[in-house]
Amino acid sequence: MRQQYALRTQLVMAVMGFIAFAIIFQIVRLQNSYVTPQIKANELNGQTELHTIFPDRGEIYDRNGHLLAGNKTVFEIGVDLTSVRYPEIIASTVSLELGIDYSKILSDIHNPAEGVSYVVIADFVDLNKGERLKELKKKMKEDVKNGSVGDLTGLNFKAHPQRSYPEISLASNLIGFVNREGRGYFGIEEKYNDLLAGNPVQVLVPIDPNKAAEITHVPNGTTLILTINRDLQAAAEKILDDALETYGAKGGTIVIMDPQTGELLTIASTPRMDLNQFWEYGTIYNNASDFNLAISTPYEPGSVLKILTMAAALDSGIVTPGTTYLDTGSILVGGAWIKNWDGKAWGRQDMTGCLQHSLNVCMATLSTQMEATRFYSYMSNFGLGHLTGVDLSGEAAGRLKTPGDSDWYPVDLGTNAFGQGVAVTPLQIMTAVSSVANHGRSVMPRTLYAMVRDERQYNTTTQIVGSPISEATADTLSEMLANSLEFEGSAALVPGYRLAGKTGTAEIPVNGFYDSTKTNASFLGWGPVDDPKFMIYVWLKEPSSSIWGSETAAPVFAQIAEKTIVLLDIPPDNIRNKLVQK
Amino acid sequence: MNIQNVNHLVQAYKVAPWRVQRQWIVNLLLAVLATAMVATLYLDVTSKAALAGREIQNLTAFITESQQRSGDLQTQLASLTSASVMEQRALDLGFRPVKSEEVEYLIVPGYFAPEPGVLSSASIPQLSALSIPPEYNESLFDWMDEKIVSSSRGQ
Repeated sequence: MRQQYALRTQLVMAVMGFIAFAIIFQIVRLQNSYVTPQIKANELNGQTELHTIFPDRGEIYDRNGHLLAGNKTVFEIGVDLTSVRYPEIIASTVSLELGIDYSKILSDIHNPAEGVSYVVIADFVDLNKGERLKELKKKMKEDVKNGSVGDLTGLNFKAHPQRSYPEISLASNLIGFVNREGRGYFGIEEKYNDLLAGNPVQVLVPIDPNKAAEITHVPNGTTLILTINRDLQAAAEKILDDALETYGAKGGTIVIMDPQTGELLTIASTPRMDLNQFWEYGTIYNNASDFNLAISTPYEPGSVLKILTMAAALDSGIVTPGTTYLDTGSILVGGAWIKNWDGKAWGRQDMTGCLQHSLNVCMATLSTQMEATRFYSYMSNFGLGHLTGVDLSGEAAGRLKTPGDSDWYPVDLGTNAFGQGVAVTPLQIMTAVSSVANHGRSVMPRTLYAMVRDERQYNTTTQIVGSPISEATADTLSEMLANSLEFEGSAALVPGYRLAGKTGTAEIPVNGFYDSTKTNASFLGWGPVDDPKFMIYVWLKEPSSSIWGSETAAPVFAQIAEKTIVLLDIPPDNIRNKLVQK
Repeated sequence: MNIQNVNHLVQAYKVAPWRVQRQWIVNLLLAVLATAMVATLYLDVTSKAALAGREIQNLTAFITESQQRSGDLQTQLASLTSASVMEQRALDLGFRPVKSEEVEYLIVPGYFAPEPGVLSSASIPQLSALSIPPEYNESLFDWMDEKIVSSSRGQ
C-alpha cells in the first residue's frame, strides 16, 4: 500500500516536473531564438519606427453645407525589394493595369538607389485601379497554391488622401487648389493652408504591440464653412459667361456681398479652371493676378467711383442733394480740360442729376471745391490704396496717388473724382461703398463663415473697419442713387425692388494715352435700399458690342440681382413692408 | 515492544537516507513548479497584452482606413449632387428656373427662417475629458466618508 502510494506520488511528480521543465525550456528557447537579436536590436532603437503622418486636409463647405473641397482615397504602389520574388510578373501586371512602361518598372526594381529597400512605382493611383490590383495580387497568391507560377509578392499598396473638388471649376477662383505635396495655392487653399492642412508631424510609432496605446493621435485639418452660396455662385458664373459672349467682353467678374455683414456670397471671375487638374494652371493664366480679378487686378473703375466723390462732398457739407450748378460741359483742372462723357454741356443740374447723367465736370467741380487734402483724406478713409483685409490670398492694394507722390499731378484731383487715374480692385470699391449702403459703416469683406475643429464650430463675426461718412450722408446718398436709377429708367432695375447703384465706363490707358474704343464697363448696386441684403459688382473687360457700362454691365446686374432675390428669398418691397408693419 | 523501541524506530525512519533524498527532490520540484507557475502567468499576461496591443494597432489602422473611405464616399456623393448635375437633373425632369415675379410670398405669423450652415452639433464648448463615475476612482474610505457625510446631511 505504501509502495503503491509512493509510485503514484512519483508519477505525479514526474508529470509535473516534465511540464515545468517544458515551460522553462520554452522560455529559454524563446530567449535564444534566431529572431531574438533582431528583437533586441529593435529594443535598443526604442522599438519604434519614424513615420511622417499627414493628417487629412480639412474640407471646405459652402454656407449651406455643400462640399466644395474634400478628399478622395488614392494609392501609392511600391515594391518591397527585400521580399519581391517575381519582378517580371510585377512589372508586366502593373504595366498592364496602370499603363506604365514595363521596362521602367523592371529597371526600378533591378537598379534601386544605394541602400534603398523600397521603390515607389506609381503614386496617386485611382482607388478603383488600386483595388483591382490588390484583388489580382490576392488571386495570384491563391493560384500559386494551386500550382500556378509566380505572384505579386513584394507589391505594396499604401492608401492616402488626395484633394478633390466635386464642383470641378465652380468657384475655382476663390477656392484655389492644392498640389501633390499638399500645399495650397491661391484663394482659400493658400490663405488657410496651415489650418486646413493640419500639422504634418513625424512621430515615433512603437513596434511593440504592448505600447500600442502610445501611438500618437494626429488631428485632421480644420474644416471651413464659407460664406459663399453655391447655387448663387453657379448662377453668377453662368450669367457672367453668357455676358462675355453677348457683349464680346474679354473677361469679367461678378461679386456679391452682404453689405451689412461683409459676407461674400459669390465671387465669379474669368477664366476658371478645373481644380482637379491643377497642373493646367500655367496654360490658363499668364499671371498670378489673373487668377481672381475681383481681388488681384486693380483697374480704373470709372464712374462707379463718383459714389465716393459725392459721398465726400455731401459729408463735408460742400453740397446738399438740392444744390445746383451750371454744367458748361468742361472744366479746367491743373491746366487740363476735363469734359463730360459725351462732350456736351448739361446746363443746370442738381446733385441727383449729376449722378443720374454721370457728369464728369460736376465731379471734378466737387473735388476741386473740396481741395486735395480733404478729397484724398476721404478717399483714403474709404480704403482706396489699402488692402481690404479679405481672407483670400493674393489681394492687391491698388493705387491712390496723392499730392506729394512723384507721379501725382494737379489734374489728377479732377480725373480721380470720376474714377480715372486711380486703380482699385472690385472688392476694394465694394468695401468703400458698403459704408453708403450700411448707414455710414464700412465692413471688412470675408469668405469664412465658420471653422469646425474637434467637433466644435467657431463662427466668425462682422468687422466694421471704419465710418468714413455719417449715417445721414449715407442714407441721403442711397436715396439719391436709387432716385437717379429710377429717373434714368436704368437697365439695372428689377421690378418690385428699390435698388441703388451706379454705372461705370472707364477708358483703358494704352501706351500712356486713353483709348476711347477700349473700356472697362462696370455696375455697382445694392438693394433693397431700406434694408440692403446684397451688393453686386459687375465688371466686364473691354466689351465690344458697346463700350458703355449702362448698356452692358447694367443689364447683367439686373439678371444677377433677380437671381439673388430668388435664391436668397428676398420678398418684394411691398411684402417686406407688410412684414415690418406686423 | 516497549516505548523505547518505538522511539528508536521513529528516529531511524526520520533519518533514513531515502527519506532525506525524497525531501530534497520534493523541495526542488516545488521550486521548479513555483517558477513554472510564475512563468506561465507571465507568458499568459504578456501574450494577452500583446494580442490586445496588436488589436489596437489593427483597429487604429481600420479607423484611419474607414475615415479615408468615408471622406472618399462623401466626395463622391458631393460630385453626384454638384450644382451642375442637380441643375441638369432638374431640367431633365421638366423644371425651369423661376423668375422673381413668379414667386409668391406668404406671410406666416411666427415663422423665422432657419440660420445657415451649422455643421457641428456642439457649437458651445464642452468638457473634453470623459467623466469617470466615482465608483472607479474613489477608495472604500472615500465612499464610506461620502455616505456618512450625505446621511448626516440628510438628517
